[in-house]
Amino acid sequence: MPTPTLTQSIVITLIQCLLVVIFVFVVVPLTVFAERKVLGHLQQRLGSTRVASGHVGFSGWMNRTMWKMGRVPVLSYWRGIPGLVGDVLKLILKEDIMPAKADKFVFFLAPSISMVAAIVVFAAISFVPGTFFTFPAWFPYLGGLPVSGGIADINVGLLWILGVATVGVYGIVLAGWSSNSKYPLLGGLRSAAQMVSYEVPLTLSLLAPVVLAASLNFSEMSSRMATGMPAWALVPQVIGFLLYLTCGFAETNRLPFDMPEAENELVAGFHTEYSGMKFGLFYLAEYINMTVVSALASAFFLGGPWLLPFGLQGLLNPYLPGFLSWFGQPHAIFFVAKIVFLLFTYIWVRGTIPRYRYDQIMAVGWKYLIPLALVNLLLAAVIRCFAV
Amino acid sequence: MEHFIETIGRNMFAIFGVMALVGGLLMIASKSAIHSVLGFLFAMLNIAGCFLALEAEFLGVAQILVYAGGIVVLFLFVVMLVEVSKKKEGEVFQLQSRYAVAAVAVGAAMFLAVFRKAFFGVASPEALVLRPELAKGLDVAHQNAQAVSRGLFADYLLPFEILSVILLVALVGAVVLAKTERV
Repeated sequence: MPTPTLTQSIVITLIQCLLVVIFVFVVVPLTVFAERKVLGHLQQRLGSTRVASGHVGFSGWMNRTMWKMGRVPVLSYWRGIPGLVGDVLKLILKEDIMPAKADKFVFFLAPSISMVAAIVVFAAISFVPGTFFTFPAWFPYLGGLPVSGGIADINVGLLWILGVATVGVYGIVLAGWSSNSKYPLLGGLRSAAQMVSYEVPLTLSLLAPVVLAASLNFSEMSSRMATGMPAWALVPQVIGFLLYLTCGFAETNRLPFDMPEAENELVAGFHTEYSGMKFGLFYLAEYINMTVVSALASAFFLGGPWLLPFGLQGLLNPYLPGFLSWFGQPHAIFFVAKIVFLLFTYIWVRGTIPRYRYDQIMAVGWKYLIPLALVNLLLAAVIRCFAV
Repeated sequence: MEHFIETIGRNMFAIFGVMALVGGLLMIASKSAIHSVLGFLFAMLNIAGCFLALEAEFLGVAQILVYAGGIVVLFLFVVMLVEVSKKKEGEVFQLQSRYAVAAVAVGAAMFLAVFRKAFFGVASPEALVLRPELAKGLDVAHQNAQAVSRGLFADYLLPFEILSVILLVALVGAVVLAKTERV
């Protein structure tokens, strides 16, 4: 296998970055679309499950034809698409208003910090261990070179993810401050307190896989948690998984914990004064953060690019018949499928559980989640000491 | 092209260092307290970049995690909570300027002494590294975290524990100060 020169490896890295951005910009709008539809079904809001292009044009013709054939039209799954198009158009075309007494520089900086911090995290996430694909030999300049599954699979990848994700707090806090208005300031302060306190149990719950896998490298951790453990050693990790997911909801400000924006208390919280694409960047950042939390959960608790959660794959692998052996091979599709499932869980929870009160959130975080995370860590250490 | 990129890569440390200095200057020079905090954040992120350029990934990322993720957020939180009016701000700064000058003078003297030693003094015969028996079987470039932890928990255990006691003292002191103010 040829080794790439420095310029070639930089070009490959840029291609990987491009792939990540494409992934993000495919997943985020689809999640927004799915959120409208799933919430529509859960809460019996009919609009987003019915709106379609009508009875005219190509899709209308297909709908009518399929009804005539006595089948449910395929396109009915895509009902609500005009709503998505409207959302995106509104974000792009709306007038960008800046409050007169806002701090202009910080007002401009805040959404970009949110967005950059959310997307840079993907540097350490590897979708496949090892090589993702190899450029065919005829490819100009890069022929025959391998493209690895992660952009930078550094030895402290997990810390990188946690560290950069915490920088995202600044986006919200600074947005709240720079708007020079009461509700955003309250939202910003609330979010700073909430996110800093929920970072502690989040990190502690992620330490359990670190202890078990004895590594901080993303792909190494995900592969050891998927295949390198005896199955019973992973049972306590179910607690860790639920803990992590709870804290992840709080970190991304999703519904049971959406204190920073709580629309019936704070109008819209930290982004009250934002409009147009600046608001769109916050919106994007929230969904990208959801994707990142889902990616971490699926890598460390659900077996990453391998198929079954909690390391059951390793148990099953020897008994797989030959034609099903792809089932046991790592593939990016499994990883993405798990991420999509967890994103669905996000929407599901949002449609089911009402918002906590602010003091309840802090009490749950400090009095229950942190001790539970410590007990879970202790359990993992005991398992590590005696079993693995 | 190849040569150009290589040159940039070799000088990454200097680039990040200069940007960290710019961040520090912004922190000192800006009028608003929030802008100062932002300058500090910029400096901290660039220092993390310096560590990354030296292939000390663990230290660099810990820098981001601890400073950018924890400490500076708390700074921001406090600055936003305790919004000082312009007049009072001026009084506070005037009250402290004498002590500040003294502290800066002492710090500058210490740094000058260190730099004089670093630039003109005799180089130490061996670099400050882990005890060789601790670093055995360890690829330090790729096992950053392990190397640091062996250093902390085996080689330099006592200084490490003393440092944490100092932090505890600071914590208790902060609680005492807050209590007396309220009474």
